[in-house]
Amino acid sequence: MAVLEQTPPAVAQPSPTQPKKGWRKYWHLYAAISPFYLIFLGFGLFPVGFSLYLSLHRWDGLGSMEWAGLSQYQYLLSDSDFWNSIGNTIIIWALATFPMIFLAMVTAVMLNSAVRFKGLYRVAYFLPNVTSVVAIAIVFGSIFSTNSGLVNAVFNAVGLDQVAWLNTPWGIKVTIAALMTWQWTGYNAIIFLAGLQTIPSDLYEAARMDGAGPVQTFFRITLPLLRPTLLFVLVVSTVTGLQSFSEPQVLLQTSSNDSTFAGGPGHSGQTMVLYFFQQTFDNNDFGYGAAVAWGIFLVVVLFSIINWRLVQRRGE
Amino acid sequence: MRLSRRGLLRAGLAGTAATALGGLASGCAVPTGSTGRNMVLWYWSGGLSDTVVKNAKARYDSSVDLDAIQIGGQYRSKLITTITGRAHIPDIAGLKGEDMAAYLPNADQFIDLRTLGAEKYKDQYLSWKWDQGIADDGTMVGFPIDCGPVAHYYQYEIFRRAGLPYEPADVSKELNTWERFFDAGEQLRKRIPGTMLLTDVNSVFENVVQQGSKRYVDKDRHFIGDQEHVRRAWALAVEAKRRGIVSDLVSGTPDQLSAKQDGKLPSELGASWAAFDIKNGVPKAKGRYRVADMPVRPANNGGSFLSITKACREPEQAFEIITWMLNAANQAQGYVDAGLFPSTPASYGLKQMQEPDEFFGGQVTTDVFGPAAQKIAVAYNSPFDVALGQPIKDEIKNVGVLGKDPKKAWSDAMSKCRRIAKHLGVSY
Repeated sequence: MAVLEQTPPAVAQPSPTQPKKGWRKYWHLYAAISPFYLIFLGFGLFPVGFSLYLSLHRWDGLGSMEWAGLSQYQYLLSDSDFWNSIGNTIIIWALATFPMIFLAMVTAVMLNSAVRFKGLYRVAYFLPNVTSVVAIAIVFGSIFSTNSGLVNAVFNAVGLDQVAWLNTPWGIKVTIAALMTWQWTGYNAIIFLAGLQTIPSDLYEAARMDGAGPVQTFFRITLPLLRPTLLFVLVVSTVTGLQSFSEPQVLLQTSSNDSTFAGGPGHSGQTMVLYFFQQTFDNNDFGYGAAVAWGIFLVVVLFSIINWRLVQRRGE
Repeated sequence: MRLSRRGLLRAGLAGTAATALGGLASGCAVPTGSTGRNMVLWYWSGGLSDTVVKNAKARYDSSVDLDAIQIGGQYRSKLITTITGRAHIPDIAGLKGEDMAAYLPNADQFIDLRTLGAEKYKDQYLSWKWDQGIADDGTMVGFPIDCGPVAHYYQYEIFRRAGLPYEPADVSKELNTWERFFDAGEQLRKRIPGTMLLTDVNSVFENVVQQGSKRYVDKDRHFIGDQEHVRRAWALAVEAKRRGIVSDLVSGTPDQLSAKQDGKLPSELGASWAAFDIKNGVPKAKGRYRVADMPVRPANNGGSFLSITKACREPEQAFEIITWMLNAANQAQGYVDAGLFPSTPASYGLKQMQEPDEFFGGQVTTDVFGPAAQKIAVAYNSPFDVALGQPIKDEIKNVGVLGKDPKKAWSDAMSKCRRIAKHLGVSY
């Protein structure tokens, strides 16, 4: 501030009628919005920049940093575990998202037409979303346990074979996806419900007059008009799906000395963020951890571009 | 007083500015360590005996305010962050045994306890444990808290029904090699169908490696995970799988606990602190368990240290507190309160540690853990051990759980290790 106040005099005194320069006129407005930017600068932008700097070094978190150039990134590209974690993340995301969208849509349509206890249902469906993931994961761990789990009990009852859910590559992925589906269906159903209620009812009336059945109405009217909502839901679940961490971490941790970030046998539940934690905090390899974080960033950017393209196409 | 909108805005702005300035000002004056009479001690829940901490506070009350703080969550990350940030560093810091490899290369962040006269306490502590607290350059970073001698927990009645030795002394004597231990597993499975000796192959692999005096990376930063000591552990783990004595359960899951409770998983190799996990996990098994020696020789798993950081202003005082808190009598108290098995052999004969344990059918478990603690050999703890041990542990798990071909698994593990070693600058 002091520096800025010294600048004006010397050259030409501004005449009193001349309007003040931008920052002088509006400084109090800038000051009013500054807290967010200052905090963002300290706790958002600086760490981001520092992680870029960190990714060019080797560092154990305590000692001195050692310049590593681009070698961390070079190693990242050849790191099969990293690619495996990307694959896991995307598979789990797909396994969770598509059933979730379907279920959420069905739930929303039902909620939209339900007459009684509407409020109660909405609260009930939203509840899983505000429950702690750790608590949910512990419960799911029991539900999907091999010998004493509820899911296998149902399987036994209908004559299917037991599945070692938390001990086989696909079992692990399905379990994590089931957890995410359960957690997000209600939330997205509420979003869909909001979308459904913006569709004017005269459209439905007109359709009925033209002799359209409920199925036709759904596919010709409801679905196209829900498209913006659908995209929103897709974008949000992509963002959360790519960041999945607590779900596999809590589900797959064991009481032994095992790494809690390994993601079960064959790393089959090791998501990108889990891999990042393993490299950074198990191995104390902060430089490589930062490089992994930037790798994750690129994957997220890629998915964001895909999402953006989907939205753009609609605008044409 | 009536507040106009403008007035409210002004007040808000002034408040924000004051906070920002205050933050800046205090930012300049953040103390590195503690201030005044304070002596800050960082540890984690269950890391020290609450009774001992309380007594230490009272005992040294005339000279310092001992401020013992339990740090939750990721303890090491928080300690490292604080030290690197050079602000509010505790005077005394607990260090977990498994994290020592990360601290020792940075011994300059801690005060060398030898300069405070640690040597004169040396003969009261287990010598291997003492050595674990010392860095490569000879700096003594950690003062021993507890240790975790590994023993063989088993269910008396099940072993008896299977025609196996069942008194602790007999189990220790007869199941003293891996070969005999595995034979017992086969007999167990045949006599009592559905019963498995061990939860997974990793317990065999890791305990065999831990029994030895070498692990994955040596002092010269050379990868040794492809050598005989690891190959042997690998072969024994594969053998356990081949002989069908390991379950397909995951340790720590409800499945495993119910199998233990039903006697279908009557045996496990665990450190002294695992007794508390068993008591909590299967309380109904009270009286059914006994403790015997692990086959071949004991190993260590866990155990931690106290250190004095560079930020400490009164190291002599801190050292006095540490040595008092970790003397033989207080370590015995730590065992009673928190299951911390003492690193001071003089504790083992004390009354608190000679109590028969009803959970173990009235056995005095110190009789097993005490002698075991004194026979432990420890390996060099390289900062690269975690990164280079993980691929091998992952692959043996794949053999055990997914039925992967052991040969393929071994070569996969080795090629991964080669890649990681190169990345970390470890010679292969």
